[in-house]
Amino acid sequence: MNWTGKDMDTYLLQREYIDTLVIPLVKVETKMDNMKTSASSTEFVMHLASLIETQFKGRMMFAPPFAYTSGTDQQHMAQTTLREFSATSFKHVFFLTTDHTWTAMELPGQVIWMPSIPLENMDASLRQSILEDQLRQALPKFTEEWAKQ
Amino acid sequence: MSSKVSRRQFLSYTLMGVGGFMVSATLMPMVRFAVDPVLQPKGEGDFIPTPQKVDELSETPVRVDFTIKDRKDAWYKSDVSNTAWVYKEGDTIIALSPVCKHLGCTVNWEGDEKHKNEFFCPCHNGRYEKNGKNIPGTPPLGPLDEFMVEVVDGYVHLGKTVPNTLV
Repeated sequence: MNWTGKDMDTYLLQREYIDTLVIPLVKVETKMDNMKTSASSTEFVMHLASLIETQFKGRMMFAPPFAYTSGTDQQHMAQTTLREFSATSFKHVFFLTTDHTWTAMELPGQVIWMPSIPLENMDASLRQSILEDQLRQALPKFTEEWAKQ
Repeated sequence: MSSKVSRRQFLSYTLMGVGGFMVSATLMPMVRFAVDPVLQPKGEGDFIPTPQKVDELSETPVRVDFTIKDRKDAWYKSDVSNTAWVYKEGDTIIALSPVCKHLGCTVNWEGDEKHKNEFFCPCHNGRYEKNGKNIPGTPPLGPLDEFMVEVVDGYVHLGKTVPNTLV
């Protein structure tokens, strides 16, 4: 499910089944040297998110990505903005990111960190298979968390 | 040859001609509107080629990926990648949609070790038989949709999805 009015209607009717919230975290850098990397990893995270969304549409809700800059105090962001997610109606909360900093922080959910892969020069089928490989690696984290309840 | 036209004849011919012209002027657009849907060009060629050869199909469903090029969604054009589970039953080719009938997740053939010979939905353990029939007691409420199938030069081409006809 995406964060759209229509999908939200489905969610409100099917809350017992859609019990997982995924929040992409993306870093937007505007320094010349890092801009390309930042754009490329954002592209990767968003493509991966949309692939996971199609595979697990009926169980996961995807929030719009949360963006921050290099000047953001991530610790502070974790304690304020992201803290909100500790009191949602979703049983499981995941953060999807390519930024390693988050793994060291206390977040109200599990952080799924993926190494960023530049997708911009790949043709569609190669990109698809790379993303599927990445999904396969992330999958155990989801299923483990689901099995816990 | 009395080619003389009387005034009465001349007037009635002229009136008939002009009247006929006026009637057709109102009727023609109506007829055109009525048949218009038939004359519309069918957008996005009905069947989409896939890389799957018919010879290589067996009775075990295989995953076939294909891409709908330039799909128009209002003003937004995009390539949409799509997937089907394709297998042969005797001589007929069957292509099932992988979209779970519960909440729209993607189902996999033998996606769960415990249930061989079935489609499995990882979201809420929904299960389907090989022909797409949903197994009672699992969340899905209906059978998997089917794709229209056409064979062109030995390759599988897939069309629209239609409700399952096998169950």
